[in-house]
Amino acid sequence: MYMIETKNLTKRFGTLTVFEGLNVTVKKGEVLVIIGPSGSGKSTFLRCLNHLEVPNMGEVFIEGEKLDVKNKRHMRNTIEKVGMVFQNFNLFHHMTVLQNVIEAPITVKHEAREEVLKRAKVIIEKVGLKEKVDDYPSKLSGGQKQRVAIARALAMRPDIMLFDEPTSSLDPELVGEVLGVMKDLAKEGMTMVVVTHEMGFAQEVADRVIFMDGGTIVEEGTPKEFFNDPKEQRTKEFLNKIL
Amino acid sequence: MLGGTRMDINILKEVFPVLLEGSLMTMELTIISVVLGSLIGMATALLKLSKNKLMASVAGFYTWLFRGTPMLLQLFVFYYGLPKVGIEFTPFQAALIGLSLNSGAYMAEIIRGGILSVDKGQFEACKSLGFTYLDTMKRVVLPQTFKIIIPSVGNEFITMLKDTSLVSAIAMEEVMRAAQLVSASTFRPMEVFFITACLYLLMTTIFTTVFSHYEKKLSVY
Repeated sequence: MYMIETKNLTKRFGTLTVFEGLNVTVKKGEVLVIIGPSGSGKSTFLRCLNHLEVPNMGEVFIEGEKLDVKNKRHMRNTIEKVGMVFQNFNLFHHMTVLQNVIEAPITVKHEAREEVLKRAKVIIEKVGLKEKVDDYPSKLSGGQKQRVAIARALAMRPDIMLFDEPTSSLDPELVGEVLGVMKDLAKEGMTMVVVTHEMGFAQEVADRVIFMDGGTIVEEGTPKEFFNDPKEQRTKEFLNKIL
Repeated sequence: MLGGTRMDINILKEVFPVLLEGSLMTMELTIISVVLGSLIGMATALLKLSKNKLMASVAGFYTWLFRGTPMLLQLFVFYYGLPKVGIEFTPFQAALIGLSLNSGAYMAEIIRGGILSVDKGQFEACKSLGFTYLDTMKRVVLPQTFKIIIPSVGNEFITMLKDTSLVSAIAMEEVMRAAQLVSASTFRPMEVFFITACLYLLMTTIFTTVFSHYEKKLSVY
């Protein structure tokens, strides 16, 4: 069984087709990195994986469970297993770091507060923000905010983590601390799908790279094949531009 | 010297307790009707934003009706109109119903605007964490809406405080009605209305202070 499987996934905004007929699978513990120029549909594809965008056609399976818009409860339960990290963090502004991290397990999973607090402290320490537990997000740097966002997602004990350009809105000197946390996660065997422009991260951490352009998957392979010996002309052009 | 005659301290002593009592009623009417109005407004705002077309248009009709007609007219309908079809209210009941429903219509728009100005990313974060719609609203969106709308709610409070003077027209004895009665019986309109104005200013100042304190408290994030 795949952790994630899409079948013939298609998304349109009005008359604009973002992507069409995408079939992608992700195995347990695999790190899949999706790269491509802006407007290639990679973020929209990622957002379809937890139904932040509802696809027009095709299906998404999470650990074999089909996401079905008609069955809201089942969908919520399935999505609980998928953590998501956004480009703009989307932390809860009115909550401290600690409150951000414990909120979902208590509200969504109805876990005991004491349990969650214990776990949250471990996670917060893991992302290196022990001193910031009682700060509000407005007091944090971008890199710190993104690490809190990762901690918030991890507190739900997800099986899969989705990253939507997690470092794109960070100052260059703050990118490293976020990528560091992501690398640790990958090492621990977390199944990850990462949309990013960080080629270094893709080369070092990815098990597989997908290059998307114009709503289709142009090329797919291991980072080694992909970066050293790309087969498609469009991939070569893209890599020449950014490397 | 006021209006050619001397201001009489004894008159002040005589009318002040009556006006103070009226002020307490004004405060009571304001607080109860804005609190009820907030609850009505919250429900109305959520209905207006809901996907249920029927409920949304019922809520839309309510705000359209109560914002589109004068409050005085609404009060007259509740106090003088409805008894003709067998529904009778005391002046206090009619005043509360009229003020609350009117306030609710304005609060609905304030709250709706507040909800709409909460960043879309907050909804997405909730959805990705598996929140239900109700939990999203209760735990994340409404608390943030609260901070956004505090200045407008303060404004609504003060407007309401002054608008309660309209219920004097349906024989409800609040500070404005008391002032009219006392000024007629003492022939001292200048003194009486002067004190009344001071009492209104005192009350609005209390509310403004409470709200700015609250605003400061919420500005920690």
